Amino acid sequence: MVRMDKFKTFLAPFCGLVFGLFILMLIVYLTASLPIFEREGLAIYTTNVWKASENPQKEFYGVLAAIYGSIYTSVLAVLIALPLSISFAVFVIDYAPKRLKEPLMVATDIMAGLPTIIYGIWGAFVLVPILKEYVMMPLYEHFSFIPLFSFRPVTGYSYLSAGVLLGIMVTPFASAIIREAYRSIPYIYREGVYALGATRYEATKILLGYIKPAIVAGILLAFGRAIGETVAVSLVIGNVFNINPSLFAPGYTISSLIANQFGNAYIYKYMVPALFAAGLSLFIIGLIVNLAGLMYLRRFKYAR
Amino acid sequence: MLVRKIKDKLFIVGIATLTFLTILPLFHIVFSVAVEGLPVLLKGGWNFITGTLAPPDDGLGGIGPAIVGTFVLTFLASLLGLPIAILTGIYAAEYPNSLLGKATKTLLMIMMEFPTILVGLFVMQILVVPMGSYSALAGALALAIVMMPYVAVYTEEALRGIPKKYREGAFALGLTRFNVVFRVLIGLARKGILTGVLIGIAKVAGETAPLLFTAGGATRTYFEGINRPVGAIPLLIYDLVQQPYKNYHEIAWGASLLLLIIFLAIFLPIRLSLKEVKL
Repeated sequence: MVRMDKFKTFLAPFCGLVFGLFILMLIVYLTASLPIFEREGLAIYTTNVWKASENPQKEFYGVLAAIYGSIYTSVLAVLIALPLSISFAVFVIDYAPKRLKEPLMVATDIMAGLPTIIYGIWGAFVLVPILKEYVMMPLYEHFSFIPLFSFRPVTGYSYLSAGVLLGIMVTPFASAIIREAYRSIPYIYREGVYALGATRYEATKILLGYIKPAIVAGILLAFGRAIGETVAVSLVIGNVFNINPSLFAPGYTISSLIANQFGNAYIYKYMVPALFAAGLSLFIIGLIVNLAGLMYLRRFKYAR
Repeated sequence: MLVRKIKDKLFIVGIATLTFLTILPLFHIVFSVAVEGLPVLLKGGWNFITGTLAPPDDGLGGIGPAIVGTFVLTFLASLLGLPIAILTGIYAAEYPNSLLGKATKTLLMIMMEFPTILVGLFVMQILVVPMGSYSALAGALALAIVMMPYVAVYTEEALRGIPKKYREGAFALGLTRFNVVFRVLIGLARKGILTGVLIGIAKVAGETAPLLFTAGGATRTYFEGINRPVGAIPLLIYDLVQQPYKNYHEIAWGASLLLLIIFLAIFLPIRLSLKEVKL
């Protein structure tokens, strides 16, 4: 006889509700973006055009610039976050003076939770002018023959500004994951490495090899955070349809495109579907990256 | 040997410098917000907290509607999100090996990382468009969806952290599973659950993106009902920063300082009473 677990049947609907919400979200994105796929096919993702018009015949949208900007800025953010978060984790676990450890960790946890709009206002009014004055202008003046530095930084709102701001924002998050993994390395490994006569540098290098999956997970999840971030980025990216290799050029990201255009999109026939299609691409990229990150994290936890 | 020693020293200096660089922005941010925001709060005085938004280029006025809105939205979001989140967390903790339990845990982790702007867009489509207007209810629903995974995951971990003997003891008394969980385990896990609730609240009180197309924003009227648009501090800052007026930028800094204080007032006590938090 199978006994019915009443408690389980009482709770299950609430789980179901959360699942239902998530699935409904996916359905809404698919159905709301359908008209643009019927009209343009995949050109919505492969072209860089933004023609809004009262006449639906003339409308055409392609969000390639936003996808490009999202990936560009998130890669920059991860490149900044990688050395910072690993160094922070190693320093705070192994080498920081005892009295500093806790305050350092509290500081990064505050950074991880800080409302993103505060990063946004600081980025727009403080960080961008600093970067423009001391980083972009000198590099542009002396090295403008390198494509990365070839764009004249007029306003300072650029991929670089967004990338640096995102890097600052996701570093504490990545380092929290790496820190927990690094802390969990069994003590005998440490003792073993030092017993072989390794210096602290060599020991750390070996120990970091041990937590490689956790580092990959931290970086993937940080990338996922960076690509989904909206308000802070949209205040510093410049919001221009632009595909430019230069770090100093302004651009768009998927989320800042949505934030900027969605408010008046309902006047046009195809702009709402176009923005939902952009959202769908963010949905899918985010899902894949975060799932991969969680998988690496799980692999690390079970390997122990 | 010497090379190795030099490398070793360089390494320590290197990671210490990078560690310093990691937290430097925090101090710069807190410093900037304090320096720019404090004069605004002092000049605006009490009226800055209670008044309504000033016209462009004409004084400071106040951000009362946004403050009221943030409290209303956070309260409504908690009302909508907390019960579901806690019950979901209980399920994931009680049935960790069932298919639904495992899937729920994964889903919660994914939702934690989910871009919040997409939640806003979703709620706009299912609630704002049919209702024909931005509303406090829509904003609260979006925030509730953002809040749920944090609360659920904390609840799950708090329950799973309780030593098995309490559960066995409770069952040995002949209690039903319902009573074991709600009379015994919830009480033991209350600190962990409360932490999750507070983290969730701290998180959504500072969220902007989910509110962009749901709450609508209001700067001159206070709360008018859950089916009417409502303001929020982060939303107000986002709008003001993009305006060309100097006094609006000042108001934005003042509002940022207020938001920072609210955030730290909730977050710091939690963080200091715990070893680690998930964000």
